[in-house]
Amino acid sequence: MSTIQDFTGYTPTWCPGCGDWGIGIAIKTALVQMGLNPASVIAVFGIGCSGNMNDFLNAYAIHALHGRGLPNAIGAKLANHKLPVIAIVGDGDCYGEGGNHFIHACRGNHDITVIVHDNGVYGLTTGQVAPTAQKGFKSKSTPSGIIEIPINPLTLALTQGASFVAQSFAGNVNQVVEMIKAGMKHQGFSLINILQPCVTFNKINTYQYYLKQSYKLSAEYKTDNFEEALKISTEMTTKEKFPLGILYQRERPTYTNELPQVSTMTLVEKQRFINFEELQSDFI
Amino acid sequence: MRFTWKIGGEAGFGIMTTGLLFSKIANRLGYYTFDYIEYPSLIRGGHNAFEAIVSDEEVHGLKKEIDFLVCLNADTFKYHKQRLTSESVVLYDPDEFAIEQENIIRISVPFKKILSDLKGQPVMKNTIAMGASLAILGSDLSILNEMLDKQFSRKGEAVVDFNKKFASLGFDQVRKNFPTQTKPLLKKREDEQKLVMSGNEAFSLGAIAADCRLYCAYPMTPSSSVLTTLASWQEKTGIIVRHAEDEISVINTALGGSFAGVRSAVGTSGGGFALMVESVSLAGITETPIVIFIAQRPGPATGMPTWTEQGDLLFATFAGHGEFPKIVLAPGDVEEMTTLTAEAFNFADIYQTPVLVMSDMFLSESHKTMKKSFLDKFLDEYKVNRGKTIDTFSSSSKYLRYQLTEDGISPRLIPGFKGQYYQANSYEHVEDGHTTEEALARKQQVEKRNKKLDTYLLNHFKPPKVFGNIETAQTIFVSWGTTKGPILEAQAILRGMGIETAFIHFTHIYPLKEEVIAPLFKDSQKRYVLLENNSHGQFGKLLRMETGLELQEKLLKYDGRPFWPEEIVESIKI
Repeated sequence: MSTIQDFTGYTPTWCPGCGDWGIGIAIKTALVQMGLNPASVIAVFGIGCSGNMNDFLNAYAIHALHGRGLPNAIGAKLANHKLPVIAIVGDGDCYGEGGNHFIHACRGNHDITVIVHDNGVYGLTTGQVAPTAQKGFKSKSTPSGIIEIPINPLTLALTQGASFVAQSFAGNVNQVVEMIKAGMKHQGFSLINILQPCVTFNKINTYQYYLKQSYKLSAEYKTDNFEEALKISTEMTTKEKFPLGILYQRERPTYTNELPQVSTMTLVEKQRFINFEELQSDFI
Repeated sequence: MRFTWKIGGEAGFGIMTTGLLFSKIANRLGYYTFDYIEYPSLIRGGHNAFEAIVSDEEVHGLKKEIDFLVCLNADTFKYHKQRLTSESVVLYDPDEFAIEQENIIRISVPFKKILSDLKGQPVMKNTIAMGASLAILGSDLSILNEMLDKQFSRKGEAVVDFNKKFASLGFDQVRKNFPTQTKPLLKKREDEQKLVMSGNEAFSLGAIAADCRLYCAYPMTPSSSVLTTLASWQEKTGIIVRHAEDEISVINTALGGSFAGVRSAVGTSGGGFALMVESVSLAGITETPIVIFIAQRPGPATGMPTWTEQGDLLFATFAGHGEFPKIVLAPGDVEEMTTLTAEAFNFADIYQTPVLVMSDMFLSESHKTMKKSFLDKFLDEYKVNRGKTIDTFSSSSKYLRYQLTEDGISPRLIPGFKGQYYQANSYEHVEDGHTTEEALARKQQVEKRNKKLDTYLLNHFKPPKVFGNIETAQTIFVSWGTTKGPILEAQAILRGMGIETAFIHFTHIYPLKEEVIAPLFKDSQKRYVLLENNSHGQFGKLLRMETGLELQEKLLKYDGRPFWPEEIVESIKI
């Protein structure tokens, strides 16, 4: 049985009070509670304050390029689908720079768990606006307020075929732990969008803001109702109401489930193909 | 014996398929071929043409004079008549268009009438043309019929017989009406078994031979047939092929797979590679093996998608921000494509860095005869060499992914091994993979990565191949990659004219090893001619940069077409 300490690397460099602290401890707690150890999980990090967790979390890891974590995670999963793969990314990282990858990862139902730190700003580059910021948000790159309306990651994921869509709040670590575990147990693509206050550069979306604007989905909420999930998710944009919990979950075959090549063993475990004669008939 | 057979017609009506069928028939009859296609970037409405050069000895490139021109429409004649001579035979249908030109041999074949009499589809014109061609070349229909059996057997006997009927009508027309024009050029001859392979297929085969298990790509001419070939081999070989959403995803998927331990490759053309470039740099600093196949076409931007150029050499060689090692290889024909591709996967694993295999439309989409014995021998001898890739780590100390070593290469542990972990870090890092901005660690890691190229030059760099006698020849061609074929053909023509030449053919393009290359250029009395399919003489610049050698005389072609051997001959005749 592993411990939190086994997963603990360098001391984090996040600002005091940053929502990332809560997410960091929640990820380690979830991995321990799932019986994993640093050698039995692959973690892929984007670039940003979230991605800096690469040095704070012990695992077989890729610290990817900005925006490109998801395809790295997909590739690792294709090569070894027995290892759980988590992608730890930011909102600008995953929904901005890597937005195309996000859409297609949902469609493919790749069995990876995508943990997005959603704080509405680019923290590491000192506070420019992120695609999740509310319309009118003033930042160094949008001094008169952002013209675009925010991207809605939950609606986007749902409509592009994500089979598990959840939202959490960094101020409630226990709920983050539960969402990560549920996402990792889910067979298929799972998104956990975590509302994460940036105490340094975002004075709007604070802990108080999210405590006021978010609500837990009730115990009676049915997670397999796509239309209901879609309706609730849109309220983030239309009413600034942020649901917390599993919005939607319905399993369908994962990408690797649909590949007969890896039905009995992983790609990395297989024997080399040497029956070259079989291919030569194409050339005669 | 050497002749050019060319067929043309409207795009979308099976010209390419028919052409390849002709090459395969010629090979089955014991001959060697090289073929070349011309097509616009359209699916319907343009003009497509295919030509095969056929000989009883190996063919490396094109031949300017067309000996047999099969015109499925008037455009075929219009576009290619300047390549005809008084000996040329033209097959056409006078019901479709008239040929005024007198000084050629005209063979009329009633394509239109046969089609309408038998209620055939327009695409069956090709089958008539194939029958007529085999008649004029003094062959019979036995192999064509075998191939029609193979192609249509799934659709039932009636469909097979219906197709055979068109072939035999075309054949009989020529035999009956033009008995004296028949030339016995394609009589069956005994020879060893041969394969008809394109450069893209040779890459695909090389990748499978090398145990590549993950291939990712986004379609882009002229690289796309690697994607489709490997995709069609998934069931047989077990390779996973991912057609991702864009080239950025393509290379990052492959890098994820490579990180997790499988040999991975990507393929594209210049524009797609441009999108991948940031991640080439990622592979450089994370020291993740990857093979990148680039089938060049004329740029910039969308350029001329279906034509050929060697215009991306310097871009590819220097692609990626920051300093990191990279190995660039450029095969000259399908044989070299197979062997160098397989070698590229070994280099990627041994040096844990990107390895580029450069092709272009001319090599990628042309088919050339490859002796089966050549391929079998290679497949038999090739050994997968994964370098310092390890799947266990027994020491009691902590595993160091970026351990400083004499040769610059650190043991690479496949993720999943119990008791260890590490990160492949895109930030600069210390030996165990953690991020650093410390001066000494940075300097050590830069030097460690740089050392890998020194190790490569010491252990695996291959000097250029020399064709002809460099001591006695006065004129020496210098080139790289896909110009090999046209230059070999030109050398043969020149030899026939009593002019001896030599040819320095580079396949290991970057880095270059000065001390083994410089001696080839030591004689200042000789005439060195740099040949490249681009306008900047890019390899010449690279050669100068790497070795200090400067070649003054250049023959550069950048109209989107490959070199004609004849124009190489013309340019050097004094």
